[in-house]
Amino acid sequence: MTLFGACRIMAELSIRILIPIFEFQEGLFPPFSNPAGWIADWLATDGGLDTMAWFYAVNIALMVGMTNLILVIHLERKIAARIQDRRGPMLSFRALREIGEDLSGNAPSWKFKKNYSGIGILQNIADGLKALTKELIIPTKADKFLFTMGPIIFISSSVFLLALFPLSDRFAASSAPAGLMVIMAAFSIAPIGILTSGWASNNKYSMIGGMRSAAQLMSYEIPLLLSMAGVFLVAGSFDPVTIVEQQRESTWLFGLPMWNIIPQFIGFVVFMVCILAEVERVPFDLPEAEAELVEGWTTEYSGIRFMFFLMAEYIRGFAGAAVATILFLGGWAGPWPVPPEIWFLIKVYLIIIFWIFIRWSVPRIRTDQILVLGWKKLLPLSLINILIVIFMVEIYPYFTAIVNLPEVF
Amino acid sequence: MEIKELIQELSAFKGVSNASMIRDNVVKLDIDKNSSKEFFTKLRDDFGFEHCSLITAIDNQPEFELVYHFTSINKSVTVGSTDMSVMTEVHVFLERDTPTIESISDLWGGANWHEREAFDLMGIYFVGHPDLRRVLLPEGFAGHPLRKDYVYEIHEEEW
Amino acid sequence: MAEMWISMGPQHPMTHGLWTLKVKVDGETITDADPELGYLHRSVEKMGERRKYFMNTTLTDRLCYASSTTWTHCYVLTVEELMNVEIPERAKYVRTIMLELQRLASHLMWAGSYMPDLGHITGALYFWRDRELFLNLLEVPSGSRLLYNYIRIGGVKRDLPDGFVEKAERVMKLFEQRLDEYSDLFENSKIFRMRTEDVGKFTAAQAQNLGITGPNMRGCGTKFDLRRNDPYEIYEEIDWDIQTREAGPGYGDCFSRYMVRIDEMKESMRIIRDCFKKMPKGPTLASTIPVRAQGEAFRRTEDSRGEALMYIVGDGTDRPYRWKIKSPMFTTISAAPHYLKGYKVADIPAIMGSVDICIGETDK
Repeated sequence: MTLFGACRIMAELSIRILIPIFEFQEGLFPPFSNPAGWIADWLATDGGLDTMAWFYAVNIALMVGMTNLILVIHLERKIAARIQDRRGPMLSFRALREIGEDLSGNAPSWKFKKNYSGIGILQNIADGLKALTKELIIPTKADKFLFTMGPIIFISSSVFLLALFPLSDRFAASSAPAGLMVIMAAFSIAPIGILTSGWASNNKYSMIGGMRSAAQLMSYEIPLLLSMAGVFLVAGSFDPVTIVEQQRESTWLFGLPMWNIIPQFIGFVVFMVCILAEVERVPFDLPEAEAELVEGWTTEYSGIRFMFFLMAEYIRGFAGAAVATILFLGGWAGPWPVPPEIWFLIKVYLIIIFWIFIRWSVPRIRTDQILVLGWKKLLPLSLINILIVIFMVEIYPYFTAIVNLPEVF
Repeated sequence: MEIKELIQELSAFKGVSNASMIRDNVVKLDIDKNSSKEFFTKLRDDFGFEHCSLITAIDNQPEFELVYHFTSINKSVTVGSTDMSVMTEVHVFLERDTPTIESISDLWGGANWHEREAFDLMGIYFVGHPDLRRVLLPEGFAGHPLRKDYVYEIHEEEW
Repeated sequence: MAEMWISMGPQHPMTHGLWTLKVKVDGETITDADPELGYLHRSVEKMGERRKYFMNTTLTDRLCYASSTTWTHCYVLTVEELMNVEIPERAKYVRTIMLELQRLASHLMWAGSYMPDLGHITGALYFWRDRELFLNLLEVPSGSRLLYNYIRIGGVKRDLPDGFVEKAERVMKLFEQRLDEYSDLFENSKIFRMRTEDVGKFTAAQAQNLGITGPNMRGCGTKFDLRRNDPYEIYEEIDWDIQTREAGPGYGDCFSRYMVRIDEMKESMRIIRDCFKKMPKGPTLASTIPVRAQGEAFRRTEDSRGEALMYIVGDGTDRPYRWKIKSPMFTTISAAPHYLKGYKVADIPAIMGSVDICIGETDK
């Protein structure tokens, strides 16, 4: 039962309500009746059902992605707070109930409880509401069209990512055969959004921040793709399903799975560093650093547009962790009782927690040091990784004495 | 050199008067305005006072007084066998109407802003200063507030 | 891109305090700088001329709010020299203890605001959490956490209460353990070193000429500390060392200045422990304090940031005739073009943070 199959069934069920509505409309208004009739006829066909199923599937993928986004933001705030010897957001339904008890009951106002307990989930909703109600300011001399387009490009390319990676071989909203390449291409649209926002703000600081960010992102694309090339060589395709299959089936000593992290450890390290630079987390977040240039390319944005940048950053972080899991950690492979989707999410969250620990323990690197790291150190390392992979693949017959690689060549 | 020798050598200089000692490690003297620049050059180069600590401007009602403090960090002048560092306090008197004196900001980089502050708050003009403008008060402020005859209401319309 | 002036204006998260730094950049490299002050000028010197000598201690507290006891102390020393007041022995010890506690609090505040400049927000919270311990200690004798008005002309306001020594010992033991953890977290971090080494260099000779004193000068290897080279209070009788650090022969960079301050914190704790051992019993305030003063006097003390100097002229009345305050940060900020030139714009927070600016004392 794949996701697409389930959505197809949902589509067939919802057809039973929709087609009568459209046929009712066909009888009502002469100007609209013809299109309504055509829609009702088309929905009953196979193509219409498929389209509706895809529509449902993509929406479900979006909802899953957004839920994960909220969880990631919440996790980051709580873990960051605990590292810093404090508690983090505590507002939640339980806290609301406690506040209600304090307010309604017989407690006088000065006896409010000092620490309301809770898990803090409602804080994200409060922040979202706050961002929604702020005034949207466009600077006078800014280019209005590009100013609004910048965040739209940025977030649309990021949300597009959510529909692209599968959570398991059944739960896939897209089935592109070049899956991972499309994901990396979607990652790379972001510099356009950044440069547009930075330039359109008509602000020296934002422009500098935008250019720094674009330089950083573009210089880390190459080691990123080269470190992925090792995995593609071994697996033989760009499709995430094939890559995970290859990792699931390659075993060594006593049947332990040999995920790509073990033979291609250098590639894993290079990939981790590059993807941190791509999603602009500390230690690579100089372009949006507060102390340097007051938020960099997002200086002039307020309200929901600023929220777009923040959300897109976390979505890209999540997508980056997902790609790392698919490529190196075995994707959704895992022993039986736990469903593969949950395995996938567990691994993704492990990587994200690792990133959170790095973010709050380490200072920032300066832009020129970032570029030196990217060009002079990571690029040779990723090439060494490819050499190792080619070596492994060439001495394949001797290699299978230790390792069971599936026949891909 | 010892601090006693320092006093003798400094008093022998042209324009110096009233040399004395405060506590154990401070030499205090007055100097004439016209020979001040040479004296300060000699103080830095020959006697090794490489740190300009402070330049104070005082408004004694009929005249202005400038007090310079210099420190020797690298033990070019010693007090017996202790570790104490020696300071020199130099008083210069300027007339009321046009208080000008040569600037020492080319000798000591630290004197630059001290002279700007003396100009800003007291109105003493330093000849040869590279960038003499107000430092603490905003540009366009009129008057020199630390003078004893500064009355706020007079300058109110100008600012 | 042609050369342009960027103004890191008065409202900026990086500038600790309220001042403007205009830098001229050529691409990413700085070619010139022009700092502007005066946003916090409160005319303390002119106000001091209207108030009596003992009333000015509240003004001096507010000169540098991060390190307020040391400024009050400098003023009180000058006035005592002017009036020829002898203070009792125990008062000297209590003053030294408060000064060193204040130095610890000030250095911790500096560290807590330096870390976010480099991007390490957790560092801010760790150092400020420890500063809370010392502020609680400072609150015990004086009654207030930030602006104490504790050191008075002739001694201190009140004696240290019972139990202060034990409290201080507990706090210092806890803090020493934490300092060891922090040295693992910060000094051994490669990224921290990459950001602060070879950045913001100036030589010792430049520092002395430009008027940079205190830990900034000791970061260039000069062994000069006013507590030893022009001693006041009890520093002569206490066993302590001057802490210096060099980044190379005769010059210092941001990392050496950071290390000097961390070492000074350890040394301050040593001084406090020594004072506790040697403190005699007795009164803490002189029995007669004159009201009028005539003449002129100046004293300099080692503030947390450098050499603080006060020069007072008395004319026989009970108010000062002229009161001049010298702040070490005044000349250090003026020397900004010298140690900013040639570095990148991204280095500005690291360099200006390592120099430890407090605008309250600069603008008076």
